[in-house]
Amino acid sequence: MKAIRKSLLPALMGTMVLGGCLTTTAFAQESYTVGVEASFPPWAYVEGGDFKGIAIDAMEAIADEMGIEIEFQDMPFPSLIPALAAEKIDILATGLTVTEERSRNIDFTIPWWETNDVVLVPEDSELNVFSAVCCGARVGVQGGSSQQAWMEENVVNTTDIDVELAKYDNYVTAVDDMGVGRISSVIVDDTSAQEYINAGKPVKMAGKIFIRAPLALAVTKDDPQGILGDLNKGILAIYESGEWEEIVHEYIPDVSVPTIPGHMPDFVDTYQKPVAGLPEHGNE
Amino acid sequence: MDIYDVLLRDFPFLLKGLGVAIVLLVALLIIGFVLGLAICLLQLYGPKTRLVQWPLKLYERVFRGIPIIIMLFIFYYGMSGIFEISAFGAAVLAMGLRSAAYQSQIFRSAFQSVPSGQMMAARAMGMSKMVAIRQIIFPQAAIHAIGPWTNEFSSEIKETSLAYVIGVVELTRQAHYIITSTQGNVLTVFAVVALLYFVLNRVGNSLLYAYERKLAVPGFGK
Repeated sequence: MKAIRKSLLPALMGTMVLGGCLTTTAFAQESYTVGVEASFPPWAYVEGGDFKGIAIDAMEAIADEMGIEIEFQDMPFPSLIPALAAEKIDILATGLTVTEERSRNIDFTIPWWETNDVVLVPEDSELNVFSAVCCGARVGVQGGSSQQAWMEENVVNTTDIDVELAKYDNYVTAVDDMGVGRISSVIVDDTSAQEYINAGKPVKMAGKIFIRAPLALAVTKDDPQGILGDLNKGILAIYESGEWEEIVHEYIPDVSVPTIPGHMPDFVDTYQKPVAGLPEHGNE
Repeated sequence: MDIYDVLLRDFPFLLKGLGVAIVLLVALLIIGFVLGLAICLLQLYGPKTRLVQWPLKLYERVFRGIPIIIMLFIFYYGMSGIFEISAFGAAVLAMGLRSAAYQSQIFRSAFQSVPSGQMMAARAMGMSKMVAIRQIIFPQAAIHAIGPWTNEFSSEIKETSLAYVIGVVELTRQAHYIITSTQGNVLTVFAVVALLYFVLNRVGNSLLYAYERKLAVPGFGK
């Protein structure tokens, strides 16, 4: 008898927990949720419990410019785009590369950065950019990243170069795995690569792949919140005021900051003229 | 700043992550306990009609047969069209419902380990089915259930780390933060995290074993 009475308490608590989970969030938009991948320095990371990085600081500056409240929500990179599509987050701000496939599922803001990819190899390696990515090599990329897509599109699926892609949750583990010798090279954007070299990792760049990939923020497809135009204006405003350059140089000193808006690929529908918020820009 | 200073500075955040993991663990175990016990009682002593038994069987098979990471995605992204659910809520629900399926089987084996003659004898003495379950079967089954239940407890602690895939910032995710902001130190950071999980596991299991000893009746079941 005693035992059964005891089990009633958890039953009650269980219902309370269940009820708590199902309560709907307030409908009125008080603040926008900005999804970030906080293990992706220098774009977004957590240090001492605080979000830091170029995308974090810039997003805060843009929010000030737009006069909105924002709240950061961290998620692993492969979950971010699904979360944006499911409207779990309102804005995606990380080192997000603009690709054709992604542009079908989410809407990009104007590009705010441009990267090229780099082939990283161990410091003592004699491989060059060609020998590192061929002949049975295992090459590390981040799962769901533009580097993975590029490699699949241009090497793995279209040529008979014998390369196996090893997909990682984040680049830090990929670089560490290369140190251990499980993979022979890592393909990563040049901004992150520089970050690893500056941090004293025993790696070097074997060579660059010039893809001129634009990075941008993104919102849910068709912009249900109607914030794309304001985001575009905000990006341009912090660029023109010089705030953007300051933020970038805080994290990557001495880097040359690409002009905004940079190269806008034709395949992105939100880059058709007129671009939201900036009607004088866009592709004809 | 070397990694030990960083670990010392960020230790409160690791503990916060551990706290999130513990709340998630307790919530999912409670859901699992209540639902699991209900499923077990219905399977063993409920109406034997297909209308009752088949849905229970289906539930148990489905939740035991699908990887938890897929359940997490289904509950977080898939359900968003039906109702709004937070990442934490989705994790509690997905893992709690799965735990219910597991726990129902733990309880089933515990209840079935009580000789069926006891139920018959209790009924012959005029006890109702409910009273017989409460007073005769349950106290004996509880003793048998604790051992296997420590397994469920231990494995669920470790599975809470998977909730990070939908954005629950628990212990493992906090560790990722340290690893990525310091550009490495995978071994050191995860060693500390492993120790935290291990201690939590040991403490929980010790309490459960102590409870098992407390319930034990000298000379019974030996």
